[in-house]
Amino acid sequence: MKWLEKTIACERRALERARKRFVTKPSEKRLHDVRTKGRRFRSLLEDVAGIAKSERLRRRVKRAAAATDAARDATIILRLLETSVDAAEAELAKPLLERLREQEQLATREASSALRRMRFTP
Amino acid sequence: MKPQRVDLRGVGNVDELVDRVLQTRLREAHALASGLARRDKQGLHDFRIACKRLRYALERFQTVDPSLEAIAERLAALQDALGEAHDRDVLLTILPPTMPETERRLQRERTELVDRADALWRELEQMMQALDSHHT
Repeated sequence: MKWLEKTIACERRALERARKRFVTKPSEKRLHDVRTKGRRFRSLLEDVAGIAKSERLRRRVKRAAAATDAARDATIILRLLETSVDAAEAELAKPLLERLREQEQLATREASSALRRMRFTP
Repeated sequence: MKPQRVDLRGVGNVDELVDRVLQTRLREAHALASGLARRDKQGLHDFRIACKRLRYALERFQTVDPSLEAIAERLAALQDALGEAHDRDVLLTILPPTMPETERRLQRERTELVDRADALWRELEQMMQALDSHHT
């Protein structure tokens, strides 16, 4: 099915471009982009698993997503805490905010290092 | 949560592929909608993932059937609300007990977000009835 081959190739290239951008210069936006492209591509491979055999590729995309989970979690929770902490409890939130900032930096470095070793193009 | 496998036996063209994928993903979302009614963390999470799979399929197949766009947009809004509720669940698990005001605020926001998701799902159920009959 031509449409399917074209769609798989297109989403695969989009993921590879997002991966390259993220490992070149990691940022919150680029992390979000690589995760979104990965989720879409994985969802496509799952939908068409009955006619397009791509189990190894699907597992690689899943591993890439797992490698970025910690960075995404730290970033999201940090932003949420920064915006939702009650003014009267701002001082009490400081140690947790500090810990989340450290986690975010470390997890982003680890995600970048893991994705540097992966390729999605054939 | 593993996705339901789409039965693609006998599929010979794109229209048939769209029908089979959408039927499966619609069934999956309906089956997990009880999580939205229960409002528990795991139930909401599983339902959100099922909605995400359905939304991605709808967005992908818009090139084949442009009428899918409206449902995909509503699903995106539903997924946003559930995603934000989930973020609050995660933060609540690590929030120190010394911050009760922040905790109350997060709980209240979570309730509002799930309410919004619930209202969006009711709208979507009607839209999806039409979609289901069109793609079966």
